[in-house]
Amino acid sequence: MSQDNTNHEKHSVTRRTPVTSIPGYELTDRGPEVFAPVDGPLEAPVQDVEKGPLYMAAEEVVTSLEEAQPTASPGDEALSKTSVSRRDFLKLFSAAAVASSAACVRRPLEKAVPYVNQPVDQAVGIPAYYASTCGECSSGCGITVKTSSGLPIKIEGNPEHALSQGSTCATGQAALQALFHPDRRTAPGFQAATGFSTYAWNDMYEVLAQRLSGKKVAIFTNGSTGSRNSFYGDVLKKMGGSENDLYTYESNSLYESISEAHQMVFGVECLPRPDMRLAKVIVGLGTDFLDVGTHPVFFAKNFAGFHSLRGTELGKFIQFESMMTQTGAKADERHVIPPSGEIVAALLLMKALVDKNVSGRARDQASRILATNLEVVNGGYELLGISKDVFDHVAEELLKGPAMVLAGNTAFDENATMLQVAAALINEMVGAYGKTLFLERGWMRSPVRTGDVTRFMSNASKYDAVFFIDTNPVFSLPPSFGFEGLLKSIPMIISMQSSPNEMDNYAHVIMPITHALESWGDEQPVAGFWSARQPVVRAVKDARQAEDIFLWVLAAQKKSLPYADYRAYLLDKWKPLMTLVDVKGVDFDTFIKAFLRRGFAGRVETRPAPSVRDVASSFKLSSVATTKGLKLLAPLDPRLGDGRGADKPILQEIGDGMTTIAWDSWVAMNPNTAAKMGFKRNDLLLVETATGSVKVALYPLPGLHADAVVVNRGNGHSKESGLIQGGVGVDPLVMLGKAVDPVTKAPVTAGQEVKISKTGQIYRLAAMQKSHDIGKRIGIVKKYSVEDLKELKRNRSLDDVPDLYPKLKEDEEAQYRWGMSVDLTKCSGCGACMAACAIENNVPQVGRDQILLGREMHWIRLDRYFAGDVDNPQVTFQPMMCQQCNHAPCEAVCPVIATSHDPEGINSMTYNRCIGTRYCANACPYKVRRFNWWTHKWGVLGDRPQDRMPRALNPEVTVRTRGVMEKCNFCAQRIRQAKYVAKEQGRLLNDGDLLTACAQVCPSDAIVFGNLKNRGSRVSIERADARSYLALGGDPDKNEFGIKTLPNVSYMAVIAHRDPLGTGAEGHGDGHAPSHEAGHEATAPADSSAAPAGAQQEAPAPAPAHQ
Amino acid sequence: MSNLFGPILKWMQLGVLSLFLAVVSQATPASAWWFWTPGDTVDNVGYKPEQPIPFSHKLHSGERKIPCEYCHSSARRSFSAGIPSSNTCMGCHKIVRTDKPAIKQITEAYDKNQPIEWVKVHDLPDFAKFPHKRHVQSKEQGGAGIQCQECHGKVEEMEVLEQGAPLQMGWCIGCHKERNAPLDCLGCHY
Repeated sequence: MSQDNTNHEKHSVTRRTPVTSIPGYELTDRGPEVFAPVDGPLEAPVQDVEKGPLYMAAEEVVTSLEEAQPTASPGDEALSKTSVSRRDFLKLFSAAAVASSAACVRRPLEKAVPYVNQPVDQAVGIPAYYASTCGECSSGCGITVKTSSGLPIKIEGNPEHALSQGSTCATGQAALQALFHPDRRTAPGFQAATGFSTYAWNDMYEVLAQRLSGKKVAIFTNGSTGSRNSFYGDVLKKMGGSENDLYTYESNSLYESISEAHQMVFGVECLPRPDMRLAKVIVGLGTDFLDVGTHPVFFAKNFAGFHSLRGTELGKFIQFESMMTQTGAKADERHVIPPSGEIVAALLLMKALVDKNVSGRARDQASRILATNLEVVNGGYELLGISKDVFDHVAEELLKGPAMVLAGNTAFDENATMLQVAAALINEMVGAYGKTLFLERGWMRSPVRTGDVTRFMSNASKYDAVFFIDTNPVFSLPPSFGFEGLLKSIPMIISMQSSPNEMDNYAHVIMPITHALESWGDEQPVAGFWSARQPVVRAVKDARQAEDIFLWVLAAQKKSLPYADYRAYLLDKWKPLMTLVDVKGVDFDTFIKAFLRRGFAGRVETRPAPSVRDVASSFKLSSVATTKGLKLLAPLDPRLGDGRGADKPILQEIGDGMTTIAWDSWVAMNPNTAAKMGFKRNDLLLVETATGSVKVALYPLPGLHADAVVVNRGNGHSKESGLIQGGVGVDPLVMLGKAVDPVTKAPVTAGQEVKISKTGQIYRLAAMQKSHDIGKRIGIVKKYSVEDLKELKRNRSLDDVPDLYPKLKEDEEAQYRWGMSVDLTKCSGCGACMAACAIENNVPQVGRDQILLGREMHWIRLDRYFAGDVDNPQVTFQPMMCQQCNHAPCEAVCPVIATSHDPEGINSMTYNRCIGTRYCANACPYKVRRFNWWTHKWGVLGDRPQDRMPRALNPEVTVRTRGVMEKCNFCAQRIRQAKYVAKEQGRLLNDGDLLTACAQVCPSDAIVFGNLKNRGSRVSIERADARSYLALGGDPDKNEFGIKTLPNVSYMAVIAHRDPLGTGAEGHGDGHAPSHEAGHEATAPADSSAAPAGAQQEAPAPAPAHQ
Repeated sequence: MSNLFGPILKWMQLGVLSLFLAVVSQATPASAWWFWTPGDTVDNVGYKPEQPIPFSHKLHSGERKIPCEYCHSSARRSFSAGIPSSNTCMGCHKIVRTDKPAIKQITEAYDKNQPIEWVKVHDLPDFAKFPHKRHVQSKEQGGAGIQCQECHGKVEEMEVLEQGAPLQMGWCIGCHKERNAPLDCLGCHY
């Protein structure tokens, strides 16, 4: 008896404690969770690690920022903030038990449904590509859309297109998710207090025609550089108005401020086209061209050409900024200035140039401007905390070589336009125009007309009906503007959105319109350069093209324009193109076919170089803040923009580049300031201004100015606004008072004074990069200075790693060994690779709470490392994907041989063989293996629930289900396809025939993929380069081989002008003593005596090169 | 008492458990087989589902000697051999045998722009990628030069199409080994 009892007790003691929810790790109701962590946070902070030179979060340096253990009860508002419906939507686990529970049910019959009329150029399984123009922002990048069986499956940059040059940004990649979005409306209709009544499209045109006849109509829409604006002008004229009733609006007012500044300085309204490859020095006055800017992909391509190693030369980028942008992270010299200090820095730089022997009209203008703003200039050095020497040195650098100054970011202050004016004058003084910046040939066109928002707001009462087309001013203008109230006074609001947004709530009529991928259109981003947009798929939902709706409404009013549809209008507009490009001997139809096939046409316009005008008299500064104290900066989020991207799960999931936070908003503060105020990481803070307040969690971000408080825009959509975006994060605009840039009338989103206090609650931000877990590990990130580079040599091949086993015969005989090289000097952490990878490989998005559990599914992630002073750190971005180790730790531990080594060097993963032991993930030193904890859902299609929206998936890649491990496989499907094509042609693959999704998309050309057995391939050349290294691979020249995994992925060390892992940069703001010393990584090159004799240069290539 | 009955209870428990295990161990594979093989053989060979239109391969391919790739035209150039679209049928049947009920059925669907929903017979799991073109293309083209019949059976003799081979991995591998074709996992699973 007693024995039995003790047995029983023993049993209950050893039994696992039941699954309970841990604050911050609440599990929603999605069935039994077998592997729920029961013993505290997943990654317990490691306290006794010896510090190395790199750190991943501020609290490793400022230890008092260490997150407090949550004390709040699970029911707290802050903790239960995430939207259950979204979570459920994203991750409801599948009814995978069908097979086991219903033994009498048989596998559902799979149908094969062929075309009725198969198009001649289409066959199942053979993709068709269409050239088009991306519509996700107004920069007008050319894209090639891969379609399979008539459905788009992947967007890629059009390699011949001047603006995209073969790449897209992450936002462009996410366009497919917008196209197939479950939130998209299916029918037009009228909205009244009683509800929404749907109409058939044909009735809709009739009803609208009646209701609009004789009414005063306006159109409010987003920016475009194409024929669309003139079309709307024509429509408005037919409706009895004029083209002045068209209002264009982009929340990125950089377009306006830059073009307005050039209007003031040169009398030309345009944006200069930069060619950074021609420059040796670039000075940024708070610029963020790599984050948001005006043309992100074009600028990233440009910057990669400028800031990468050209021989032994490297362009020098000097940045003054108060935020920590990804652009600033690439700076060789970074000066931290107070919020809104850019204009002061510009004036001081101007002064430094005026003091040098510069001549010309620009100098006269500049000295007059300096004379009128003497006070600002004299107090400037103290305000910025930067000495005069620094500006003298920057001015010298600028005068030395071809240079340019880029100014302004998307946190706009009152002086945003004046900053651009100052930058234009500086550029003129250093001779940038005509050398590196072009106004006279191929200038860039602004997609918006300046000041349209304020113009609309003053005219709104005149109109009986206003169309809002693909724009969301209710969300993207600060509420203090009163736009919402204004809408209530408009008798009829017609909302036409490709994805539903907040505007619909105010609309009387809602009409779903086609997405850019379903529409006709064009853009003229550069004067004279036309980029065509053609539909790549028939409208996925029952939507119509906005322009067509107008044509058909006009037709119903018997006032029709002479076009059957918008395509006909465009063909008419494209007629002059033929003479422009001087095509002879073909008819117009043939020309148009060639134009659409190629995606662009034109000849860039030229004009005489404009000269500087009298700008000094109109140069007026709004008050420059001279007081210290916390100031709010609300820039556009690099991924989500002004909120447009928030409904795309992939953009939410790739997270912010600097903080790695996904699915959320955060308040970023200088770590030392935060520590002084007694805050800890993940503290939920109340951020207040005179206008409003938000509750948002703290992320201490190294590199911010002590006074800067940054809350990105983009999130904060209301819970009802959508399945994906609803209830995520906060909107900083509620804190902004009504202030505008006096020139462009664009709302001011920077410089508001702000008070911050603790709420006592903790809210875990889903930051994907953990802290404290690298210690003094060597060989993760290597950096050299340009000077080091001259002596940098490598005597031993990276592949020369000792191995006990003989080389396999199959490996030796294989014709290919796939490899990848990532140039960390180029990578700017934009996240396009993560998005492209997810779209190409059907990688699911998992949502915030799964990321908190460390269960994100990215096959490629972006690690970000800080080094040096926490107030002005050096930042390195490192894309980390499966390293395809030749001596892979994961392969040895798999009990079912689900992961094995491919003779071509790929560490293959066989999903159907995997039983989910996760041994491989534990063995992987790079933490790149991902386990499917759930069958992740995207949506529901038709009458039966699907695992994911089948049409948003790539049919060439297996969709993984719950219980299966997955990881990067170098886009095996692309390798197969390319090899088959090469075999058909009886040849081997050439370098460049084949690119992985990440290498293909990279706007900075940082990722190179190819065959390592071909000695001439780019990847082989990069791998043999002296600055290449293997992650965690030690230094072969010193007989240190790290963990000896011998990956096929190699990294190229960062080259910087800055003291590579130095303790501080020149001239930072109010700095604090850093606690890091330079460590192993920086150690210089190659002690060649350590290398064994005879291990000279020659790589022991296993097979002769085939070229 | 419990001391006395303890061992007996234990044996009874074990008995129930082993009975349960026996049932489960038999039933699980059995139900899995039942689920995954709609054909009534062990390896699904001979699976012969009813099609929406009683199309006879015996007539078209056997008697009329229409080459396979006349209708399954993407076999040479795509992963998928392709089920012919309705207009392929109508190419002949606009004129030929327009009086037969099956032809009337297909003409009607064609006129209404409705596709025919054929039932897949040779259905590979989605995690196995089978490029038809690599197998069908001639050796000169770098392919394997395999006749359709080697995997699909004697289609030209089938009144109703049935599965001609097990299409299971062992069967694939057997052939790959015989012909010295690639055996790496990544060749088919990605």
